[in-house]
Amino acid sequence: MSEPDRTKLPIRRPPFQGVSNKTLAGSEPDWNLIGHPEPPAGAPNVLLVLIDDAGFGNAGTFGGPINTPTYTRMAEGGLRYNRFHVTALCSPTRAALLTGRNNHAVGFGSVGEFSSGFPGYTATVPRDCTPWPRVLAENGYSTAAFGKWHLTPDGQQGPAGPFGRWPNGWGFDYFYGFLGGDAGQWDPCLAENQKIIGTPAGFYDKENPYYLPDAMADKTIEWLHGVRGQDARKPFFVYFSTGCSHAPHHVAPEWADKYKGQFDQGWDRLREEVFARQKELGVIPADAELTPRDEAFPAWDEVPEKLKAYYARQMEVYAGYSENADYNVGRVIDAIDELGELDNTLIIWIWGDNGASMEGTITGSFNEMTMQNGIPLSDEMQLQLAERFGGIGAWGGQMMDPHYSAAWAWAGNTPFQWGKQVGSHLGGTRNPMVVHWPARITEGGALRSQFTHAIDVGPTILDIAGIPAAAEVDGIAQEPFHGVSFADSLDDAGAPEHRTQQYFETMGNRAMYKDGWWLAIKTPRIPWVITPDALRPYAPGVWDPDGDPAELYYLPDDFTQAHDLAADHPGTVAELRELFWAEAEKYKVLPLLATLSAFFGILPPRPDEVPVEYRGDVQNIMSGMIPRIYNHSYAISADLVVPAGGAEGVIVAEADHLGGFSLWVQDGKLTHTYSMMGVFIYRQQADEPLPAGEVNVRMEFAADAAKPATGGEVTLYINDRPVGKGRMDHTVPIRFSAYAGMDIGRDNGGVVDLSYEDKKPFAFTGTVKKVVFDVKPHLSVDDEEELHAAAHHGDAAHGLSQ
Amino acid sequence: MKFDDETTDVLIGGYLSTDAAQDDYKAVLASGGYLHGAVVVSKDLQGNLSVEQTDHMVREGAAGLGAVGFAVGLFAPPLLAATAVGAAIGAGAGALLHHRTASKLEEQAGTTIPVGGAGLIVAYPHSAAGKVEPAVTRAIQKVVGEAEGHHVQALKGALADAQQKMTESGA
Repeated sequence: MSEPDRTKLPIRRPPFQGVSNKTLAGSEPDWNLIGHPEPPAGAPNVLLVLIDDAGFGNAGTFGGPINTPTYTRMAEGGLRYNRFHVTALCSPTRAALLTGRNNHAVGFGSVGEFSSGFPGYTATVPRDCTPWPRVLAENGYSTAAFGKWHLTPDGQQGPAGPFGRWPNGWGFDYFYGFLGGDAGQWDPCLAENQKIIGTPAGFYDKENPYYLPDAMADKTIEWLHGVRGQDARKPFFVYFSTGCSHAPHHVAPEWADKYKGQFDQGWDRLREEVFARQKELGVIPADAELTPRDEAFPAWDEVPEKLKAYYARQMEVYAGYSENADYNVGRVIDAIDELGELDNTLIIWIWGDNGASMEGTITGSFNEMTMQNGIPLSDEMQLQLAERFGGIGAWGGQMMDPHYSAAWAWAGNTPFQWGKQVGSHLGGTRNPMVVHWPARITEGGALRSQFTHAIDVGPTILDIAGIPAAAEVDGIAQEPFHGVSFADSLDDAGAPEHRTQQYFETMGNRAMYKDGWWLAIKTPRIPWVITPDALRPYAPGVWDPDGDPAELYYLPDDFTQAHDLAADHPGTVAELRELFWAEAEKYKVLPLLATLSAFFGILPPRPDEVPVEYRGDVQNIMSGMIPRIYNHSYAISADLVVPAGGAEGVIVAEADHLGGFSLWVQDGKLTHTYSMMGVFIYRQQADEPLPAGEVNVRMEFAADAAKPATGGEVTLYINDRPVGKGRMDHTVPIRFSAYAGMDIGRDNGGVVDLSYEDKKPFAFTGTVKKVVFDVKPHLSVDDEEELHAAAHHGDAAHGLSQ
Repeated sequence: MKFDDETTDVLIGGYLSTDAAQDDYKAVLASGGYLHGAVVVSKDLQGNLSVEQTDHMVREGAAGLGAVGFAVGLFAPPLLAATAVGAAIGAGAGALLHHRTASKLEEQAGTTIPVGGAGLIVAYPHSAAGKVEPAVTRAIQKVVGEAEGHHVQALKGALADAQQKMTESGA
């Protein structure tokens, strides 16, 4: 059979080469008709591993404090790349990685939760930028993705789709993981292919609880065995994208306890230790200089003695969590080895997608969502809330959704400045990469320092597989890759540096790299501060981006960005600044700060305030898709059938005890529980039991005022008759949960009211016929506009934390 | 020193966890300062109330803190000073202040201590303040009221003063 045209996808069916007579007499079949496209001969298997929210200085393989034996094994048999770059934010890096194009150009200037009306910020990949996993699949690869996705717009994560932006639509035959930016590792709300399947049943097993990293490895191995059981030769592509080490930092104590006492020296000393090891390993140049601590981070010596154990435990858990990820990737690699295919599997393993995350603010948090909801808590408050849910020994367990301090993240980004969200500096844009492929790499353990970027990975894989970039997919002409292959560096240490220039932009922090020079322009805002005062300088008509301070580094002589040369080279600063604007226009980066447009009054149309009805037992409604009850008066009404003997259980529940609500029946009495992020927990109960038969129950919240986090009065009704009431002084202004879903007739996953935890999911023992949410408008149009703006500020704030 | 010979102080501490309140309760008992009484009240995540008080409370009988009612507005940490969108939000402390009556400790605490929260009340002669107050290190919110007078009246007065201060500081 002749080589098909692989530039136009799907590959056309070959013309019939046999003979079809009126009868079988003399007819000759053409068996190629029932075949399927095959990749070019020699195309290897590919395993692409992406660790989340980690820094250059986390993994032991690159001098970090975290034990990563699998990563080191791959590096010793393969190559370490110490000048690999990402975009400083989750979804953007993933979009760049899987499309081979700059993130803004494919609509991912920000995260999947935040879709804006500017081309670079739609969170909707354009049809003319087909992701390269689809190219692999169309060329005969079996493809699968496991774990974190974060590339499906928030409002499209239900059974109505559309599904083009789900993993299957990006070219993966199979997907098992979560669609959002993060998930509990104990209680994720999962998707499998095109269905939200909710929290696994294993979550309810106290003896042997479900753990997502273990399950990801299990599912990957199961899938590989299934593929090989069907076809011994077909190459596979696995995208293994861990939820680790993004918050919530969930891991069993035996992993965290391995690090007991290892961070008591604090973040300042840790950076020095890591820096020294990095030099010993040779992953940074011998003349590199450690960058100093910005005043945004406190000195460890300034931390009160009574709180040091609290802070140290945060990092112990993070380290154990990360080591577990290394272990589970190792299980997948061992399974490939056991199949006898490790030599012919190209493994590209990137340790971090945006540097380590500083979104825990200085204090860290028992609940990652307290920051996104703008609840300012001191470290003592955070410690007490951690104690409420089990104490620092339980940090990492099922009762909390923790995030560590920004200062630990800064230490994780050693030797660089800053971290996630800061696209101007290497702390947020440079991560370790290891490439392992015995079939081609003969110089095991060597270092590569070519300047590479996430957009280069796809073109490299296709180059190695012998598959051309698609010029046309589904009849739509394709935009060429922006990335270039670095395949020649696999067996040639002196291979030329193909990427000689690259722009970076995240949240207005931006950089322009060209021929070794790096122009860094960071907005003075501290990344985790999004108060009005902090944002005011960036308002339209106020902000002059060219007025932001510029720093200039020459990376061949200054690996860590320790020496700002801007004052000595004003011409280079001007040249790179001009080049950045040109690149920004070319790749749809403009307008700068589009991610924050909602904060400046640029809002999508208001949605219709119609009641939302759920009939039957609808489950696992993703947290970004629940009715917008925040900051409003609202009512939840349910039509029930109560058996003669009474009923108990949950009528409707959103999320869990760390933020959520539940309308449920306890001892026959209608009860409403509301968790304001685990900080305030309110409960109201009816004075009398539910009657038998057809019953309507209703919970009404009458807000005090049209303002975020408004307090208000709760009234419970049975058949329109008030039967109970109570007050809630504070409500959730932005979002209950990053990942936990809403259910009718039960409370899947973690429960809202811990008094029924031992009965979870505590399904209603009567019948829930219908649940109706009625979000009641406030009195004035101005109020509505204000709250509409607040809701979108919330989307943006959520985006800032993913 | 007798209970009614000098100014009586009442310290109220609000906490987000039982552990923190217990730490301060134990620290107060170990402070060496004379106490008229101390009580720590907490509510667990299932909503169960627990009360622990010193022997002083028993000895003082009707003058014990329980008899004058548990302070409301006890738990009003200055949270939510701002949201991510920057709106200033008052904490609404002391909304239940008017509920202050002479009802039993458990009843009042049951309505005023939120799920997961805890409160500490310590009564002591003003002369012991130098030992007692520094022992309370973990309270999210801490106020001290004072009053002069006789016995139960002094305690009530100091408690009312503390409650008022709690309300003002928690808003």
